Amino acid sequence: MAKPMDLSVDFCGFRLINPFMLSSSPVSNSAEMCERAFEAGWGGVAYKTIVSDRLPIIHPSPRMAAYQPSGKRQVGVQNVEQTSDRGLKANLLDIMYLKKHWPDRLVMASIMGFSNQEWADLSKACADAGADMLEINVSCPHMTVEGSGAKVGQVQDLVQKFTETCRKSCSIPLVAKMTPNITDITVPALYAKKGGADGIAAINSVAGLSGIGTDTWVPQPNVFGKGAVSGFTGPAIKPIGLKFVAELAKCKELGLPISGIGGIETWVDALEYLLVGASTLQVTTGIIHYGQGIVESMIEGLSDYMAQRKVKRVRDLVGKALPNLHETGEFDLTRQGVAQYDLDRCIGCGQCYTVCKDAGGWALEWDAQKRRPILDEKKCLSCMVCSFACPVDGLITFKEMPKTYRRADTVTLGEEMAGQLKG
Amino acid sequence: MKKTNALTGMGKGFELGEALAEANRCLLCHDAPCSKGCPGGTDPGTFIKKLRFLNVTGAIRTIKQNNILGGACGVLCPTSQLCEKECSAVGLPGGAIRIGKIQRALVEHGWETGFNPLEKSAPRKEKIAVVGSGPAGLSCAAELAKAGFKVTVYEAKKKAGGVLRYGVPAYRFDPSFLERELKDLESLGVKIQCATPIRGKGAAEKLLTKGFAAVFLAPGLWEAIRLKEPAPPMPGLFTATEFLSALREGKSEQIGKSVKGKRVAVIGGGSVAMDSAESALKLGARDVYLIYRRSYTQMPAEEDEKQDALRIGIHFLLLNQPVDYVAGPRGRLRAVKLVRTELGDIDASGRRRPVEVPGTEWELPVDVVIEAIGAKPAADTEMWVASVKRTTGGLIVADPKTGATSAKRIYAGGDIVRGPALIIEAVKDGKAAADAIRRQVGKKEVSHG
Repeated sequence: MAKPMDLSVDFCGFRLINPFMLSSSPVSNSAEMCERAFEAGWGGVAYKTIVSDRLPIIHPSPRMAAYQPSGKRQVGVQNVEQTSDRGLKANLLDIMYLKKHWPDRLVMASIMGFSNQEWADLSKACADAGADMLEINVSCPHMTVEGSGAKVGQVQDLVQKFTETCRKSCSIPLVAKMTPNITDITVPALYAKKGGADGIAAINSVAGLSGIGTDTWVPQPNVFGKGAVSGFTGPAIKPIGLKFVAELAKCKELGLPISGIGGIETWVDALEYLLVGASTLQVTTGIIHYGQGIVESMIEGLSDYMAQRKVKRVRDLVGKALPNLHETGEFDLTRQGVAQYDLDRCIGCGQCYTVCKDAGGWALEWDAQKRRPILDEKKCLSCMVCSFACPVDGLITFKEMPKTYRRADTVTLGEEMAGQLKG
Repeated sequence: MKKTNALTGMGKGFELGEALAEANRCLLCHDAPCSKGCPGGTDPGTFIKKLRFLNVTGAIRTIKQNNILGGACGVLCPTSQLCEKECSAVGLPGGAIRIGKIQRALVEHGWETGFNPLEKSAPRKEKIAVVGSGPAGLSCAAELAKAGFKVTVYEAKKKAGGVLRYGVPAYRFDPSFLERELKDLESLGVKIQCATPIRGKGAAEKLLTKGFAAVFLAPGLWEAIRLKEPAPPMPGLFTATEFLSALREGKSEQIGKSVKGKRVAVIGGGSVAMDSAESALKLGARDVYLIYRRSYTQMPAEEDEKQDALRIGIHFLLLNQPVDYVAGPRGRLRAVKLVRTELGDIDASGRRRPVEVPGTEWELPVDVVIEAIGAKPAADTEMWVASVKRTTGGLIVADPKTGATSAKRIYAGGDIVRGPALIIEAVKDGKAAADAIRRQVGKKEVSHG
C-alpha cells in the first residue's frame, strides 16, 4: 500500500508532473529560485511578472507587512510588491535556462504591458525564450504605474484587447489572471476568452487594508508615512479564492481550465481548489510563511489521499464538489437538526453557554455546581456557534432530528415586559 | 501521562487534535536540531512539519519507516534527554515541543485509521535469523523484511517483545499497545517463533548451516546481578526481573499476596528500580523503601521517574549500602543489613563513589526485598555463541557501526553488546546490523560456510 500516486495533470496542453506551482510573485523572481523549487518537487512556475525596460520598476520600501490578528501568526500578508524589477534580458535568459534544464516542468511567463505594443513585444519575447505559456497579468491591485494591473482587469474590453494582442503575437497558450476585486469574475474571464485566452488563473491578491498603525495612524505597510490599499494574500483569503474559482468553473460559457490561487498551504487546501474546479494550483504566501519545502507534504498528502480514496488521476478530482454547490434557495428546509453534546468529554469551560446566550438561541442552561451546560433541544437553532468555541475537538456535533421535531419559537417579550411598555 | 493506581492500563496519549495543536507550537526550525538528538535516526523535524501541514499519513510514514517501534519509543523514550533536549523551543515559555507525545499520537492514529505506511522491496530468497524479539531484534527484523529478506525471529519466552513485554510494567507500556506494533511487523512478513530458545553448544552457528544467510543476536540481558553471589535461597527475596516478569505474565495476584500490607525494600537507583518500587506500592505494600548507595543526583533513573516515585510516596533511602540479609523464623527474610555511606571521589562511571562509613551498620526490618542492581548475560551464553568473541563480563563484542562480531555472518546488538541501554539504542543497533547484513548478503560472496 501507499506507493506514490501519479499526480500528473494536463493544463492547456502541457502535462505537469503534479499540479503544484509557484505563483508569479517574489517566490518566482529568478531562475535560481525556480530551480530550487523544481528540486523541491514543484511541478511548475508562473514566473514573476515580466515587464519591458521602458519604465523602471522601483519597489516601495518596506514591501510587505504581516497580518496577525490577536497575535495569531502567518494568517495573511499585505504587500505592495510590484512586477519584476529585473531587466527584460535577465528574465528572458532565466526562462531559457529553466526550459533547457527542466523540460518537464511548466514555465509560464507572467507578463504585463504598459501599452498595447508592449503586450505584443513581451508575448513574442517570452515565447521565443521558450516559455511554455503566458500568464496575462491584468490583476495586480497596487501597481505604481498608472493604468495597469487590476485597473485593466476591471475594464472588460481592455482585457479582451490585450489578450487579442498577445494571441496575435505568439502561438503558445495564454492564461489570463483575474482580479477578485470585482463583483462577477466570469465577466472579465469571458472577455479574456473572446480575446483568445486558453485558461484562467484566479485569484490575484484581494485589495485590502490589513492594519493601521495605532501610533502613526498609517496603514501598513508603512512606506515612510504613507499607506495604500494593496494586495492581501494568504490563508485568510482562501474562502474568497475558492468562491471565485467555483464560479469560473461553473460557468458553462467559459469552459476553460483554471489555475487556482489563494491561501494554499496544505494538500487539503489544494484538494479543495481541485474539487471546485482548478486543475493546477499556485502558491506564494505559503512559501513566504514556511518556504518551498511545504510542497513535500502537498505531494505526499494528496498522493496518500488519492490512494486511500482509490482516485487514479488528479483530473478525476477536478470539479467534483461542483454538483454539490447550489443556490441557498435549493436547500431542503424540511430537514432540521440540533447541536449534540458528548458531555463525558466536557472540561467545564462554559464558553458554549456564553456564546449561546449572546449569539445563539438561549438553548443552554448552566449547571454551576457541576460546571456543565444543559441543552434544551427545542430551543437549539443549530447555528453551531457553541462548537466553534468549544476547545474539545468533536465534543459538539450536528445531529439531524426526526421530522416530528419542532423548534420552539424564539423568545419574545413576556407579558410583564409588554405591560411595562403600555404603562 | 497521568499515573493511576491500576497496575495495568497505561495513561492515554494525545488525541490527534492535541498533537496538531502541539505541532502548531513547533518553530519548524531550519536544519532541525531535534532530528539530530535521536540515536535511532528519528526525524521529528520532518514528521512534525508534515503534521503541521496536515500531511498526517506522511508524518506516520516518516516515523514508522525509520523505526518499526515508533509507538513504543513515543511512549517509553526519555525524550527530555534526547530529541526534546535539542528543541529550540526549550527556552520559550511553553518549553520544548512534546515530541514523544506527538509521535505516539501519530502512530496510534495510523492504527485507528488502518493506515500502514510500511513498504517492502521486491522479495529475495535469502533467509535471515534473528535471536531475540526485543527492540534490537525486532528493528533488525523489520529492516531486513523491508529489504525483501525472509526473516525468522526466535524468541525464548512465551511471547514476543523482550523488555517491552517483560521488563516494563503494564502501567507504563500496555501489552495491547505492543501487540499493535507487532502487527505492523507481521505485515512485513516477519515470522516470530516464540518459546523457541536457541540453546546448546554452537546453536547460533548452527543456524548458518540451516540455510540462514546471516544471524543477528539480540537476546538481551536476563540474568540478574545479585547483591550476594550466589544469592541465598530466602523467601521474600526477589530479583526485579522475576518480580516484573511475574507481573507481566499475569501472576500479579500471587505476587500481590507476598507484597500487600508488607514492608518492601527495592535495591537500586535505575529505571527498573523505580518500576519495581512503584509496582510494589501499587500492589498494596505498606511501605516501599528505595535503597541506593549514592545520592539522589547519581541515580541513573530519569528525573521524572524519580519525581513520580517520590510523589506517590516511596521512601528514598540514600547513602546506604545493603550488605546482607537477615533471616527470621523458617529462613524467611526479616531485615536488610545496611551500612551508611558517604560520597568519595569520582569513579569510572563518572559519578562520586560511595564509601562505607565504618561502624554505621544497621538493620532495616523488611518483609520483601527486590534487587534491581543490574542484569548480565545468561550463564549459558558462552555455550551457544561459542565462536563469538566476548568481554570478560560475558557481553558480545561487536562493531558499533555494523554489529559485526568476530564470527563471519554473525551480528549482534542491543543490551547483549552494550550492557543495559536505552530502547532507542537497541533500535539503532538493529537497524545498523540490518544494513550491514543487507550489504554483505548483497555482495553474493557468501559461498563459504
